[in-house]
Formats: sequence, structure tokens, C-alpha cells
Amino acid sequence: MDAILDIQHLSKRYGDHVAVDDLSFSVPRGSVFGLLGPNGAGKTTTIRMIMRIIASDSGIVLLDGEPVDDDRRRIIGYLPEERGLYKKMKVLEHLVYLGTIRGIRPGEAKKRAAAWLERFELDEWATNKVEDLSKGMQQKIQLIGTILHRPPLLILDEPFSGLDPINTRQIKDLLLNMAAEGVTIVLSTHMLPQVDELCTSICLINRARPILFGSLDEIRADYGGNTWRVRSDLDEAGLRALPGVTSVHPLRDELLVELDGGGSSHDLLRALIDRGNVETFTRFIPDLENIFIRAVEEDRAC
Amino acid sequence: MLNRIFAVIRREYLAHIRTKAFWISTLIVPILMGALMIIPAWLATRGAGEFTVAVLDLSGKFFDPVDAEIQQYLGGEDEPLSIILVEEDPGPDIAVTRERIKIRVKEKAFDGMLVLPSTLPDEGTPEYVAPNVAAFRLIEILERSVNNVMVADRLTGAGLDPDAVSELTRRVGLKTLKLGKGGEETRDRGQTFMLAYVFVMIIYMTVLMYGMYVMRGVLEEKSSHVVEVIISTVKPFELMLGKILGIGAVGLTQFLIWATLMAAISAPGMVSAMGMGDIELPTIPAQLLVFFVVYFVLGFLLYGTLYAAVGAAFDTEQEAQNFQFLVMIPLMIPLVLLFQIINQPDSTLSVVLSLIPFFTPMLMFLRMTLTEVPALQIGASLVLMIATILASAWIVGKIYRVGILMHGSKPKLKDLIRWVREA
Repeated sequence: MDAILDIQHLSKRYGDHVAVDDLSFSVPRGSVFGLLGPNGAGKTTTIRMIMRIIASDSGIVLLDGEPVDDDRRRIIGYLPEERGLYKKMKVLEHLVYLGTIRGIRPGEAKKRAAAWLERFELDEWATNKVEDLSKGMQQKIQLIGTILHRPPLLILDEPFSGLDPINTRQIKDLLLNMAAEGVTIVLSTHMLPQVDELCTSICLINRARPILFGSLDEIRADYGGNTWRVRSDLDEAGLRALPGVTSVHPLRDELLVELDGGGSSHDLLRALIDRGNVETFTRFIPDLENIFIRAVEEDRAC
Repeated sequence: MLNRIFAVIRREYLAHIRTKAFWISTLIVPILMGALMIIPAWLATRGAGEFTVAVLDLSGKFFDPVDAEIQQYLGGEDEPLSIILVEEDPGPDIAVTRERIKIRVKEKAFDGMLVLPSTLPDEGTPEYVAPNVAAFRLIEILERSVNNVMVADRLTGAGLDPDAVSELTRRVGLKTLKLGKGGEETRDRGQTFMLAYVFVMIIYMTVLMYGMYVMRGVLEEKSSHVVEVIISTVKPFELMLGKILGIGAVGLTQFLIWATLMAAISAPGMVSAMGMGDIELPTIPAQLLVFFVVYFVLGFLLYGTLYAAVGAAFDTEQEAQNFQFLVMIPLMIPLVLLFQIINQPDSTLSVVLSLIPFFTPMLMFLRMTLTEVPALQIGASLVLMIATILASAWIVGKIYRVGILMHGSKPKLKDLIRWVREA
């Protein structure tokens, strides 16, 4: 796998509190990567260590295969969770400033910023002070500031928090566009619907450690296991009586049928057809929320 | 790296120079300073002009000698003052005459009335009656002249030769001269003190004001949460440095505006064009101006870094108050020591105090306006200050780095020490 970002054995403690414990994962180039976890799991600390805002106690972060340093980190477009703008600055000037400290020439930064403002229909606000803007508008300005230097890698910490559905949609579309252009995006969030919609890979952190890591499709398949969604002439009891079936649960107007390890879908379907009509027969793909809760609970249990 | 620091400097500079506060302080200070420098000069010459004094000479013999004494005194001095004495006939009823003259004084026909009792010179006290008894120069001359005449009269009465008397009672004045660098002597009527005082106050105020700007700027970056966005590309130390340099540049801009205004005001003809008459403005040696800027810059860098640490450690100005005061104390101590230094600018105590880096900007500069400070001491003060600034920037940089990401808990001094150790 070609990893744009490779995190190896990252640890950080504050006094007795372990914020991140031996965390390793890598972000495939071109992926939309979800860094997930409950509040306080260590997501923000991890990202801050990637961005070298705080120093790690141990471990390394490789960016394009080489350790990240103060110069190389600038190719990353970083939107922190604790974000803000200088309230008294004018919108366009502020964007030019954000571009300039990321190494773009002021003239070029101004051109790009103006184009983005137009795209977000904020161009009439260009000479207003930041404090005149609504919260949603300010958040868009922040995102523009993050992508102004055309970063090949974006790290966004809770980018949708505080946004209304329309702005969320707008930013989601923008991110999907950028992903289509080949930009790698790391999203840290606990809002799972967005992850479901955007991410191709995830790393789930709980209690400072990674408990789930990989491509979303694989994880789903793993957690779905050998489970099938069935609607047929058989009722729960009838299904349970079939060979190889370990459990049956209702799920809306279907029944979830779990097979034991060796049981094949082929045998199950044949048994169903032998006993009557089959309306639906599909592999069960668990939604992310279920996986998330299950993984966290299993982690707590051990 | 330089590009980024420059971008930060530029942002800070523009952010502060566009505030109303900057322009208000830029305009108000020269007005206050001008008032401080012009008013004493103006007061000194306020007595200037012509005074007409009615003299009620009840003795009948002292008008001429007093008049002669006054005119002789005025003629001998480069005094911008002239006094005309008008003898009034006491008339049959002195009380009535007195009232009559008083009315004329009220009508401004006279500036005042001098009453010489008939019992002079042996007893009795001459009186000066006027609506404005604060014309101190006039009163001083009247008092001295009357006194001289009385002394001379008594001596003559005691049998001395009048010529010998006038020779013996000749007044000796005290002329104050300031010894300059090249050994030149210049007339000084207190302008040096005034100048020193004004400049030291400006250093105090500007270092304090711009130090507070640094602290507020850091607090603002923390409270608006913009700081993390910035330090993901700019190193915290670079951000701190850029902020301090940018705000310092605002201070220097302010000085430049002040200097331009001052130059315009003190341009020949300007003062008299303003109707101030012939006022003697203190001249400021160029060398002193250079050191003024140097000591402001060093003082600001030292206190600016300290204020940056205070800003980084706290969330709000209220929380920062105690520590802010702690930083202010060393800045205020020189104000208390001001008169000590002015009286003895070359004493060992003064030298030592002026070499303490926290006091140097004000006290060393103060000494330079008062006395010839040896180059070695100036050099030592600069080296000590720069070393202290570097040390404080190094320590503060660590507090800053940790502090700007801290929210919520109000740190104590031991927390700050821990930050320095851990960072």
C-alpha cells in the first residue's frame, strides 16, 4: 500500500494520563480516511502530534515516507478542532495571510482566495471584517484558508461541527470533489453518518489505543460476518431449525440469519428455496454505528 | 522562515496601526508633551510685558529711589519685563485715596498698587495690592527693590556714604549653567530636568502600553482559537517573535510621527506663529534621541516577552491581572527612584541601579540626560540588557509554547516553572 502518512508507535502521556498509547496506522494515498473514536480517545492529541504542534513522547510520523519536520508539515492542509480567525481582520486579507504563512506569494494567495470566495458565494464579504460573518460563513473561510495552498493531504478535525445541513452538504461536496482529484483527506470525527458517506478507510481509537483499522469495506464484511438478510415464507422458528444457522434476529421486515463459520450461503439459499418463496436474500452489511459501538464495548470488556 | 516571520510582523503591524487607540494616543501624547514643555517656558515668560503699578508713597521720600532701583535692575538683566511706577498723591484722606486707586486697579488702569507706609524704613511693611498676586516675577522685583532701598536708607541713616552704600548692597545673582560634553556652558532654567522627566515618562508609558498590546494580542489569539491554525505552519517562537517585533514597529512608527510633529512645532517661526511669543524650547541632542530609541526598543523587547508569557499562560485579562502586575512592578520601581537618581546621577547606587536590565531603559537614559555617563557603563548596560532579553525570550518561549494551547485551568507559578522544565 502506498501510504502518504505512516504513523508508527506514537505515544503521549500527560503526567499519569495516557493520551495516546503506541498508536500505529497508515493513511493510503488518495483515500478518505476516518480517524474515529469516542470523545477523549486521543484523536486530537494524535493529530496535534502529526502536525508537530505538540511533541510526542515516542514514535515517528512519516509523511511521504520521510519523517515529518517543520518545513514538510506545511504541505498538509490542517483544520484544527480549536479553530478561529482574527475577528478584526478583513476576510480577504485574512485568507491572504493564511496563504502567505503557508508559503504562497501574496499576489497568488489573493487570486486564489478571491476565486474560492466567489465559489462559496462569499465574494461580497471580502472586505468585511471576520466578526461580521455568521458562524457558518466563518467556518467556510477557515476551510478555504486550509486548502488555499493546494495541499495533497488534508487533515480536518471535526470539520462539520456546528454546521447546518446546507453548509454541511456544501463542504461534503467540496471534500468529495477534492478526493476525486486525488487529495488524501483525513477526517477526525465522531459523526458516523459523514464517515459512512465519505470515508474509504478508518482507524477507530478507543482509550488511547487503535482497536479497528482498515478499509471500510473489509471492516464491514468482518463485522457482518456470515450474516444474511432474508425475507421468505419461513418464520423465525423455521429458519432457526435449518442446519448451520446459529441465530436469527428480526430486523425491520426482514430476518437476520447468522450462519456458523463453515455454513455457506449457497446451502442456506437452497434450503430456503426448497421450503417456499424467497423474496430477498442479501449479505448483511452492518452500519458503522453498530460496528463502532460493538468495537468499543468489546474493547471495554477486555 | 523569514518570509513567515515577516508575514506575522506585517499582520501585527497593520492590525495595530489601524486601531483608533493608536491614532488617539499618537495625537494626544504630543499635545500633553507639548503642554509639559511649553507651559513651563510660557510660565517663565508669563510675567513678560508691561506692568503699571500705582505707588502710594506715604513716606514721601521713597518713590524716586524705588523707581530708580527697579529701572536699574531691569536695565541690567535680559528681562523681558518692564515696570512703570506711577506716583499717586496720598491726598488729605489716605483711606479714600486707597479706595480710589483700588477702583482704578479693578478698572485695569493699574496692574496693582504698592503702598509704602510713612513709618518706613524703621518699621511697617510695604503692601502690594493686586487682583493677580501670582505674577511672581513682578512681585519678586518689587520686593527686592523696596528692600534694597530700605537697607540703603538705613545704612545711610547710620552715617555711611550713599555711594559706598550702593556699592556695598550691590546684588549678586546666581546664574545656572549646564556643563556640556565639549566643556561648553549653556544657560539652563530647568529644561534639562523637564526633558529628562518627559522622556523617562514616555519610555515608561510606551513600554507599558506596547507590552500590554503584546499580552492582549496573545490572549486574543488564544480566546479566538486562531492560534492553533497559525502554529500549524509557524513555529510558536516565530509567532511570538513576529508579534513582538510587529508591535514594536508600531511603537517606532508612533515615535517617528511624534518626532515629525515636534520638528514641525519647533521649526523657526512656528512657535511665534502660534502666538506663544518668544519661547525658549529645550533643544534635544541627536545622540540622546538615538539612545532614547535604543532603550525603548530594548525595554520593549524585555517587557514584551514577559507580557507575551503572561498572555499565553491565561485565558482572560482578569485572570492575568496578578501576573500582569508582577511584570509591571520592575517597570514602576524606576519611577520611585527618579528623584534619587536626579539628585545624584553619578553615585554608586545610581550607577548600579541603572545597570539592572529591568531598570536600564528608564534609569540609564535618565542619567544620560543629566550627566556624562561613561561609554563603558552604556556598553555594559546594552550587553546586560541584550543578554537578559535573550534569556527571557528563551524561557518565555517555552511558557508560550505550552500556554497557548492551554485552556480552562488557571496556572500557578509552579505550573509555569513546570512548563519551562518540560517544554
